[in-house]
Amino acid sequence: MNSRLLANLGRLWLGLILVFLYAPILVMAFMSFNASQYYQLPFEFSMRWYEKLASNGEIIDAATRSVLIAIVTTILATTLGTAASVALFRFEFRGKRFLQVMLFPPIAIPWLITGTAMLIFFFGVGLGRGTPSVIIGHVALALPYVIVVVSARLATFDATLEEAARSMGAGGWTITRRVTLPWIAPGIIAGALFAFAVSFDQFVVSYFLSEPGDSTLPVLIYTSIRKGFTPEINAISTIIIVISMAVMLFAARFSNFGGER
Amino acid sequence: MAEVSVQNVTKKFGTLKALDDVSMDFPDGGFFGLLGPSGSGKTTLLRAIAGFIFVDGGTIRIGEQSVEHVPVEKRDIGMMFQNYALFPNMTVADNIGFGLRVRKVGAAEERRRIGEALELVQLAEHGQRKPHQLSGGQRQRVALARAIVTNPRVLLLDEPLSALDKALRVDMQIELKRIQREIGITTIFVTHDQEEALTLSDKIGILKDGRMTQAGPPRDVYNAPNDIFSATFLGDANILSGSGATDDLRRNEEADIRMPQGFDGKSTLVVRPENMSISLTKPDQEGLSKLKATVVQRVFAGAMATCILQSGGNTIKVIARDQEFPDLSEGAQVWVSWPQDKTIAIPAN
Amino acid sequence: MSTVLAKQDRLKIFGLLSPAYLWLTVAIFLPLSAMLYFSFLSDVPFGQKEWFHTTENYKAFFTTPTYSILLWKSLRLALMVTVISVFIGFPCAYVLAKTIKGRAREALFLLVILPFWSNSLVRIFSWAIVLRGNGILEVGLNAVLPFEVDVNLMFSTPAIVIGLVHSYLPYVILTSYLALQAIDDNLIDAARSMGAGKLTILWRIILPLSLPGLLAGAVLIFVPVVGSFMEPRILGGRVGTYFGTVIEDQFVAVYNWPLGAALSFVLLAVVLLILAISSPILRKART
Repeated sequence: MNSRLLANLGRLWLGLILVFLYAPILVMAFMSFNASQYYQLPFEFSMRWYEKLASNGEIIDAATRSVLIAIVTTILATTLGTAASVALFRFEFRGKRFLQVMLFPPIAIPWLITGTAMLIFFFGVGLGRGTPSVIIGHVALALPYVIVVVSARLATFDATLEEAARSMGAGGWTITRRVTLPWIAPGIIAGALFAFAVSFDQFVVSYFLSEPGDSTLPVLIYTSIRKGFTPEINAISTIIIVISMAVMLFAARFSNFGGER
Repeated sequence: MAEVSVQNVTKKFGTLKALDDVSMDFPDGGFFGLLGPSGSGKTTLLRAIAGFIFVDGGTIRIGEQSVEHVPVEKRDIGMMFQNYALFPNMTVADNIGFGLRVRKVGAAEERRRIGEALELVQLAEHGQRKPHQLSGGQRQRVALARAIVTNPRVLLLDEPLSALDKALRVDMQIELKRIQREIGITTIFVTHDQEEALTLSDKIGILKDGRMTQAGPPRDVYNAPNDIFSATFLGDANILSGSGATDDLRRNEEADIRMPQGFDGKSTLVVRPENMSISLTKPDQEGLSKLKATVVQRVFAGAMATCILQSGGNTIKVIARDQEFPDLSEGAQVWVSWPQDKTIAIPAN
Repeated sequence: MSTVLAKQDRLKIFGLLSPAYLWLTVAIFLPLSAMLYFSFLSDVPFGQKEWFHTTENYKAFFTTPTYSILLWKSLRLALMVTVISVFIGFPCAYVLAKTIKGRAREALFLLVILPFWSNSLVRIFSWAIVLRGNGILEVGLNAVLPFEVDVNLMFSTPAIVIGLVHSYLPYVILTSYLALQAIDDNLIDAARSMGAGKLTILWRIILPLSLPGLLAGAVLIFVPVVGSFMEPRILGGRVGTYFGTVIEDQFVAVYNWPLGAALSFVLLAVVLLILAISSPILRKART
């Protein structure tokens, strides 16, 4: 077959995939501005679902809670993860390989299993459901992502820079603060954004760990969907999508995942 | 085996003329070097001959066949890549057998020819290894074996030895030449290493900014460059400026330069550093060109030494065996001289 | 590897690593152990309830055909979603890695994996809007096509598959893209110079070299889909009963936690088996 034809077919294919990926999201966003409650066409522009959303205390509460949980998760996961990354990068010690392998279970085991296991354990130790349990779970899920992202940045760090700093008489803490940290800062920022996204978008673990009436936004959305469609969910979903995509676009600027730059 | 002929070939990438009216003949069985700085179009020319890119104008012939519209996989060529491009997922034998498998020569024939090719490059014991288990030189041999095992009409080499260290490179140059002679295949290679081009080629083509500035046997090009670029790119050259328009340089107390035959008064004069010699006093021998100069620096490099001098506005470099230089100190006034027939006159364009 | 470390260094390592790993232990590894223990109990050991050690929960899995039928159904669903994603995603990754160059590639790549980082629940919900009867898909098709079609995919297996493919497709595109991008273009040129056509190059060069990445993507899809419950619930309705939804029920509806724990462990065993089988090839993907 002609190469140019083949290349164009390939581009067409890529275009179709992008349509497939974005069409439902765009439809949802579009419908959130439609006046009809039952998604009836023809389209009639209206902000009423956003107005209703603004006065829906339950959703606002859940959204606030989700954001707070995500912020706390981000701070904790980024701090602990960065510390661990530095240790894993700088030192050679027995069991290092094992510690690196230990990062995979939170990513590789289906969240259904992790989430139900957390539920059982937190009940067993008397903590039960609620926001503290959700935060503990989210931090554990976000940690491996932070460590992977920060480690990737550290791997590009030129160790002779530290040696150069030492040759100029800088001590350990000065080197860390003036040389190492500025270098890995983009990695830390990217890791933090990933942690935020993991927590803010997390549904499964939150679902098992949050208390009814005290749930995060995705959990509230899930229960609302199962009760029946309401266009307010469209509106809040559209807002969520916009926020999380913006966060990821921002994260992409700090970590060149996948692309050469 | 076949001759290759490139006539008036042009190739544009956007507005950039990568090849601009390039012509060169590559007779059957010869070893040809394409030489030039990066961006000169030498690799583009090689890839055009290979068929990776189609030219915008001109003709390319391999044997009797015009191949401008024949894609690479149909051109029946062998090619060796700069980084060897060995398939990491295959053994050495499978790498070599790849082209044979494509041509469906049959299992027995395939085995026989892989064996022969391994023999030829002296890797008979390494057929079952993976490329990452080989040294740089061995990989290079595998790449060569892979390129010639299908008996292609022409062998194309893209910077074939640039990934090897100096000592190994010299060995491989000799090896490459031996194998090429043994199978008698028309071979075209690209290099930016002028020494390599001089060592290996029966004929070289020098490219600059997409144009072929000169083509011919290395000795001819070296001894009679037809422009300043060829003169300076291939080997070292002292350019004596001021020699064209005025007579200043020709005869006064500080200079006595014998013009070569064919000097038209506007040419630029070029002298190779190794043809010059240095003396403390003005040589009185007739027929020598002489120039008074000041020693700037003397660089010792084992058997050979280089002396940098200043004369008028010109920086002059003289290369000779170290013991042939007189005792020189920086700032010393000396005379540089060379035989009349070693002055190359390059016509002004 | 050096094993002799200064005492000071050992303290530093401990100080830097222990918070993170302590956290993982408390939030992941202890809970998994607790769940293993629970799966051998007759009832939850809270309050005044009677409980004893038993293997009944595992026996239930092996003796009640429903559970194994549902596990099999979940495995089939995961296989279908994985295969479809691979067939759709690999060519897409190839086009991105080998056909498109420069800044356009970077932008398109970002565009492809961006949805993946947005809320999966919300994306599943958006499909519910598209696929429902009298929804956008049906209205749109009827506006274009000359004849009436009745597309109510909602609450069907195809709806679940579409939603899951949409959720997990970026995984296989991402891993395949990384593997394909690592293939030196000179290898393809070399194969062409030896006379190989496009199919030969695909079969003998590109597929073998990108297989680890492709497989990594497949595993990353297969594993979570086997345990999916939210997607079948929303898009499948009554047909959306899978192994994952049964486990969910044990924890949020039926409150038979020990049985749920046992079923979770059966699922975990399946997942670990899959990871173990694919790990020799996956290890290659990282080198």
